[in-house]
Amino acid sequence: MPATVDLGISDLDVRTGDHICAFYRGAERDAMLVAFLAAGLRTGDKCICVLDAARPESLLALLDDPQAQERVERRQLEFVDFADAHGAGGRFEPEKMVEFWEHNVHSALEGGEYRFFRAAGEMTWALRDMPGLDQLAAFESEVNRLMPRYPQVYLCVYDIERFSGEQILDVLKTHPKVLLGAMVFDNPYYVEPDEFLARRQ
Amino acid sequence: MNLTPTQLEGGNLELRTQLSNLQGLLVLAMLMTESGDEEQVLRLATSSVGGLARCRPEGVYLTDRGWRWTAGSFRWEPDRRAVEEQLPGLGSLGGAVEVPGRPCGWAYPLRSLAGGVGFLIVSAEEASSPAEQFLLRVMAQQAGMALANARLHAQERATAEELVKVNSTLGATVQALRRSMEIHERLTKVAMSGEGQEGIARAVHELTGHPVAVEDRHGNLRAWAGPDRPDPYPKHGTARSEELLRRVLASGRPIRDGGRLLAVAQPRGDVLGVLVLIDPDGTAGEHELVALEHGATVLAMELARLRSLAETELRLRRDLVEDLLAGTDQESALARAQALGYDLERVHRVVVVEGQGRGDGGADRLFHAVRRAAGRTGAGSLLVSRTGTVVLLANQDLDWERLRGAVLHELGGGRVRIGVGGGCGRVGDFPRSYREAQTALRVQAGSHGTDRVTVFDELGVYRLLSRLENTAEVERFVRDWLGTLLDYDARKQSELVRTLSVYLERGGNYNATAQALVVHRSTLKYRLQRIRELSGHDLNDPDSRFNLQLATRAWATLRALRS
Repeated sequence: MPATVDLGISDLDVRTGDHICAFYRGAERDAMLVAFLAAGLRTGDKCICVLDAARPESLLALLDDPQAQERVERRQLEFVDFADAHGAGGRFEPEKMVEFWEHNVHSALEGGEYRFFRAAGEMTWALRDMPGLDQLAAFESEVNRLMPRYPQVYLCVYDIERFSGEQILDVLKTHPKVLLGAMVFDNPYYVEPDEFLARRQ
Repeated sequence: MNLTPTQLEGGNLELRTQLSNLQGLLVLAMLMTESGDEEQVLRLATSSVGGLARCRPEGVYLTDRGWRWTAGSFRWEPDRRAVEEQLPGLGSLGGAVEVPGRPCGWAYPLRSLAGGVGFLIVSAEEASSPAEQFLLRVMAQQAGMALANARLHAQERATAEELVKVNSTLGATVQALRRSMEIHERLTKVAMSGEGQEGIARAVHELTGHPVAVEDRHGNLRAWAGPDRPDPYPKHGTARSEELLRRVLASGRPIRDGGRLLAVAQPRGDVLGVLVLIDPDGTAGEHELVALEHGATVLAMELARLRSLAETELRLRRDLVEDLLAGTDQESALARAQALGYDLERVHRVVVVEGQGRGDGGADRLFHAVRRAAGRTGAGSLLVSRTGTVVLLANQDLDWERLRGAVLHELGGGRVRIGVGGGCGRVGDFPRSYREAQTALRVQAGSHGTDRVTVFDELGVYRLLSRLENTAEVERFVRDWLGTLLDYDARKQSELVRTLSVYLERGGNYNATAQALVVHRSTLKYRLQRIRELSGHDLNDPDSRFNLQLATRAWATLRALRS
C-alpha cells in the first residue's frame, strides 16, 4: 500500500486514507474531478465518481484518454448518479451512502484486480429539499471511520456559490484535509467522527 | 495557534472547538476574499454566523449604500431605522446595540484597510461568550476586507470592460478610417489618371460590389459598371427627375429611391450629374454610402472639368468668330483655328440667321437651334449670337433651305429667315461676306415676301447696287423715277412704292400682288391708279416699267445698306 498518492491536481500528493474536501466555482468542478480521476486511471486504480449535476459524457470528453470508453466498459471507471448510489426519494440516510461506499471499495479490492480505490463525490445533492440532509456532516464524519480500513482516497467537491457559510464550516470540521486553490491544508483540529456525532447528539 | 492535537488530547473540548472554528474561519475568509463578488461575500458572511456562535444574523449595513442584506424583523423599515440610529455612536469598533424584540444585539464592524465599510448586525437569546464574539468580530473584519477587495475587483473589471469597449470603438473607428482611406485613394487615382466617368463608375463598383451608374441631370445614362446593365436604360419623367434631385439636395446625403441609392455631383451648387448605386436588396451599409459620396465628389470634379473645357472651347470659338467678322490678321486667325482643331482654310460663307420659335426662348434658343441644325446638316461649328441674329461661318456650300428647315425644326416651328454672304477664300474676306449676308437678309425683309433664304450671290441687280462705292447717282435715279411717290408715302403714311415694287416683282399679276400685299383686288387697282396719276408713268410701257422696277430695287438696296 503506497504511503502517498498523486492527487492529480496542482502536482499535489496526499496520504493514503485521506478524505479531502474541495471548493469550486462554476467550470472548476469538471476540471477538478477529471484531474483527480485521470491520476487514478493512470496508476490503475478503481475510480468511482458520484454525480449530481455533472454529465458523464462531458467528463469523459475532458479526460482526453483514448482508452476512456474501454475503461468505462470494464468498469475501472464508474460514474454513478446520486439517486442510484443512495436510492431515489425518501429520507436521506447517511448509513445507505456509507454502505454504498463500503460495498464498492470492498468489491473493487477483494478480487485483487485493483490495489487502490479512488472516490469522488459531487456534493450538490446535499442541497436538495430532502428530509434528513441535516445529517450531511454526520455522513462525512462516518466516512472518516471508513477511510483507514482500505487503501483509498476520497475527494468531496462543494460548490462555494451554493453552500452556506454554516454548511461550509461543518464540512471543514469533518474533513481532515481541505483543498483550497493549489494547496492542501491539514486540519489538525478536525473533529473526530465519534466526537462530532456525540456533539450532534 | 502553536497547540497540536497531541497537546490537546483529553484537553479542553471548548478550546478544540474554538481552534477548529478558527481554522474554518480562516478557510471561509480565503473563500470570501477569492470570490471577488459582493453578493457572495455577504451570503457567506451572514450564513456562517450560526456556525460560529449561538446568534442569528439580522442585517448588513454598508456606510455608503445603506442596508444591503436583512433578515427577520429587519425587513421592516422601523426596526432597521431603530438600529441604524445607534450605529454612528458606536465608533469604529462596534458594540452592543438594541435590536427590537431580541434580548441581545451586536454590531460588528466590517473593516478594510481604508477604514470602516459598515456593520454586521447579529442578535441572540443570551449574551455570547467572549470566544464567540471573537469569532464573529474576526469574521466581520474578514468580510469587510473581502468586500473592499470585491469592490476593487469590480472597479478593475469595469475599467477593463470600459477599456475593451474603448478599444472596440477605437478599432471600429480605425477600420472605418482605413476603409475611408482606401476609398479616397482609389478614387483619387481615378481622378488623377483621367479615366473619366467610366473609371469613376468602375471604381465605385469595385469598392462596393454593387452595379453603379452615372446619369446626367436629366436621367440619361452616361456610364455603367457592373453586371446586369438594363437595356434600354429606364428614365423617369422630367417632373419626377427634378423632384428626386430636390430631395437629394435637401437631404445633403445620398437618398434611396426604390432599389437605388442616389448621390449628386454638384460642384458650386450646380447639379451636373448623379451617381447611382444599384441596391435592390437594401444591403448597402455605411461603407457603401461613404464610397458613393466620395465617388459623387470625384464625379463632380470630373464633370466640372469637362464643363470648364467645353466653356473654354466655346469662348475661344466665339472670340475667333467675332474677330473674323470684325477683321483680323490671317496668321493669328489660322493659328487659333488650328488650336481648336478647326480647318479655316476651306472656303467659308457667312450665314446670318434671323428667327423666332413659338413661345419663349429668345436668343439662347435660336443660338442652340442653329448650333444643332448646323451640326446635323454639316454646315459648320463656328457661330456666335449677334443682336437678335445668329451668325454662322458655314464651311461648305449646301442646300441652304435645308439648313433653314433644320433650324425651324429645332425651334419647334416659328419664323426663320437666312441671309448668305459671298464666299471667303481668305481670312480677310469674312467682314465682306458678313455685310453681304446682312444685306441679303435686309433686301429680303424689304421685299415683303415670305420667309426664305436669300443668297447674296443670287441677288442680281441688288448685288451690283450694293457693291457701288458711290450711291449718290443711284439715289438721284431713285428720286427721278419714284420721287413723287416717296414724298406722297411720307406725307400720307401710304405704301404706294411698296405696292408698285410688289406689283412689278410679280410681273404685273393682279391676283399675286393683291395676295402678297394682303389687300383686296379693287384696293390694288385704286392704288395703281393713284401711282399712275401721281408719277405720270405708264406702267404698260416697257421702258418705264424697266426703269421703275430698277428704281424700286435700288430703293430697297439703299434702304438695306442704310439700315
